[in-house]
Amino acid sequence: MIKVIYTKEKIIISGHANYESYGNDIVCASVSSIVYTTINAILNFNAKAIKYIDNNDTLEINILNQDKTTKTLITNMLDLLNDLEKQYPENIKLSKGE
Amino acid sequence: MLFIKLDIQRFAHKKGQSSTDNGRDSRGRRLGAKLSDGQVCSAGSIIYRQRGTKIYPGTNVGMGKDHTLFSKIDGVVKYERLGRDKKKVSVYEA
Repeated sequence: MIKVIYTKEKIIISGHANYESYGNDIVCASVSSIVYTTINAILNFNAKAIKYIDNNDTLEINILNQDKTTKTLITNMLDLLNDLEKQYPENIKLSKGE
Repeated sequence: MLFIKLDIQRFAHKKGQSSTDNGRDSRGRRLGAKLSDGQVCSAGSIIYRQRGTKIYPGTNVGMGKDHTLFSKIDGVVKYERLGRDKKKVSVYEA
């Protein structure tokens, strides 16, 4: 199961969707596409707005600048991941961090 | 390192990363014959280790609670038939 833990300053995504075998996992593909699109979109607007750390196990997004564009894109990402969780509750879970 | 490179299977289980619950086994119990037919044995020596009664105790042979067959006297081991489809082991004086 993919776990997404989010706070105002940080988002940590870890785990595996385990929906299907590698190469056929549509849940994983959706999560990856949503997250990667958001990261690159924000960096396109403002390269200093976020900092991401990808160490194979977890993908960590640190929100350094709470400007309107960044907040909107992050909110949009979390909303989409929420929709995904409703459809695939066994494969992705979002939770608010402390 | 500005943009992140798209990998749409980033959160999928990588090949060979699957875990199984198998992979455990107990050690071999070294069952079977400890003395063969015609062999000389002393009283108390173990003749056959088994689970259940593959082989039954015959003359001068006792059976432990784990169905181990042992000799009651000094003598020679003899594997014999028991009825139509069973076997027994006996010990006869040399």
